Amino acid sequence: MSDQAFALDAGAGVQEDLACTLLSKHFGEFAAVDEVSFSIPRGAFFSILGPSGCGKTTLLRMLAGFQQPDSGDILIKGQSVLNTPPNKRPVNMVFQHLALFPTMSVAENIAYGLKRKGVPKREHATLIDAVLAKVQLPDYGKKRIDQLSGGQKQRVAIARCLVLNPAVLLLDEPLGALDLKLREQMKIELKRLQREFNTTFVYITHDQSEALVMSDQVAVMNKGRFEQVGTPQELYYHPKTPFVASFIGDSNQYVGKVQGQSGKTITVVTEHGVRLLSQSSEETPPGSRITVFIRPEVMQISLGQPEAEQDNCLQVTVLRTLFDGARSQLQVETAEGAVLTVALPQTADFHALEPGRSVYVSWQANQCLCFPVAPVTRPEAV
Amino acid sequence: MSAEPGSLKRTQYRLGFWLLLAPIVLWLSLLIILPHIDMVLVSLRERVASRQYEFSFSNYTEFFTEPLYWNTFVRTAVMSIVATALTLIIAFPVSFYIAKVLSGKPKMALFILCLIPFWVSELVRTYGWMILLRETGLVSGALQWLGLVDQPVEMLYNDVAIMVGLIYTSMLFMVVPLVTTLDSLDKSLIEAGYDLGGSSWHVMKSIVIPHAMPGIMSGCIVVFMLTLGNYLTPTLLGGKDSLWFTEQIYTQFITRFNWEQGAAFGILLLVLSSLIVWLGLKITKQSFTRVMS
Repeated sequence: MSDQAFALDAGAGVQEDLACTLLSKHFGEFAAVDEVSFSIPRGAFFSILGPSGCGKTTLLRMLAGFQQPDSGDILIKGQSVLNTPPNKRPVNMVFQHLALFPTMSVAENIAYGLKRKGVPKREHATLIDAVLAKVQLPDYGKKRIDQLSGGQKQRVAIARCLVLNPAVLLLDEPLGALDLKLREQMKIELKRLQREFNTTFVYITHDQSEALVMSDQVAVMNKGRFEQVGTPQELYYHPKTPFVASFIGDSNQYVGKVQGQSGKTITVVTEHGVRLLSQSSEETPPGSRITVFIRPEVMQISLGQPEAEQDNCLQVTVLRTLFDGARSQLQVETAEGAVLTVALPQTADFHALEPGRSVYVSWQANQCLCFPVAPVTRPEAV
Repeated sequence: MSAEPGSLKRTQYRLGFWLLLAPIVLWLSLLIILPHIDMVLVSLRERVASRQYEFSFSNYTEFFTEPLYWNTFVRTAVMSIVATALTLIIAFPVSFYIAKVLSGKPKMALFILCLIPFWVSELVRTYGWMILLRETGLVSGALQWLGLVDQPVEMLYNDVAIMVGLIYTSMLFMVVPLVTTLDSLDKSLIEAGYDLGGSSWHVMKSIVIPHAMPGIMSGCIVVFMLTLGNYLTPTLLGGKDSLWFTEQIYTQFITRFNWEQGAAFGILLLVLSSLIVWLGLKITKQSFTRVMS
């Protein structure tokens, strides 16, 4: 639904490098990719984010040509590529484990694609030097692959593809094997490279931080379908489905019953018996069951009763501190026994919060999200 | 006091090391090195009278002056090289199919199917080929029955029959190292080869074969040595006049009782095989240790 809206949007004049219509792939009874449609404007960084097994790898392999879709169409620069074998498609792929050819040097790895493309040999050296300079590995041409570090291999794998000027560069979780520090660097580096080459990137990952930091557009994929396509901000602040709400960022989730509605504000009583005020864009008849999502970072902790008027204010007991530097969280319990996770500001006030201490947490109704509980599928907590 | 248990341990460790090494050292020295030293010594003497020997190179000069020996020697080398090359050409697609196309049960099944013929002795397997190829054999009979020929055809006792037998005998020794090296080739490397614009031929040439080179060479070395030193298959399928060098050695040792000449031939065969293997490694730029690991 949402992705079609986006497709229309993009088709309204922006030239697109890649578009898919109702793409499906089944393995036996199992639908790995189920009628996925989307289009990516030229030069965008597009991420497909989803848990493992959601079909994102299958989707990427269909784009690369290693798997044939059961139905639907793939258009690259407006041309259907369904009957084009992988070696003729104007897309290149950075593999999960990079797949650099270990029997060749860095320069030979890059030259492989140039040779196949029929670029005259005398131009190879210039092109290779230029692309190596762009990925900040000048004079690395003669090195063997096993002499490179993880981050350098990454850059060579990207250079090897980008030297061919593909219409679309596909990236299959290439940062997965790197350690945390390097991964943070490479995120910024990848974004820089994408801007510099002005190539459309399609990046698949299960790591939301990678997707949010780098992407212009993110598609959240679940069970073979796109749940929502949007900018990272849209997905974070305005998730359209419970799955997106729970998959992007952390949330406290409570199932409850609607007691009443006045305007956009509804009153919910959770299963534990906690009364909450929440905002709902949809009509929610009293008595209907809904799930409320409250992000840990929207809640404020205060040692005493907050002075400003808050829609929701609960007196809670500290259970434990989950220390993680700037991302530290506090687990607290209401009198009714509901457990909440709250972001813990690293200010002097809260350093000495002992378990058992009583504090207040408060937040506004419009910072909650709520979705009707679907009769069959409940969103999986992540 | 603290040093003693340490040194005791070290002595024990040394003793264990030598005990474990002993069988292989005994095996090599008693069965390989000692006979070869003796063979070199035997080949370098000439019988001047009964039980009277003199140091001489005559056994080697005999080899180089007698065209029959010389020709047989070259013929055996060339046939062995051809047999090795053909075995490689046939075994490579088979191994690639087993290692990279199949997976799970069919893969194991096909691999075992390659292995099953080797549960039967070489003699019986060669006899199988004789049943097929001889004048009164199955192939000849089938051709007559189809009316393609009007009299029995003899397909044994020629070079093609020898070649068929040699390739058949060597197959497994090529398939096993090839499957092992191809198994270790990451499938995504092949996909990357296609993704970057390579055709099947390019992917094969620039990615699969360079990766499989150690396996190819170790398979070739084993097959070449087995073929060069094969006695049974050339004799049975090629007949008495198949001119295989091992037959010459056999004749010298057993029929003519000329151990001196036989030993010289044996040494020459060893030198030949070492030389060709060394050349092969040089040409393909592989190191012996890497190929054999």
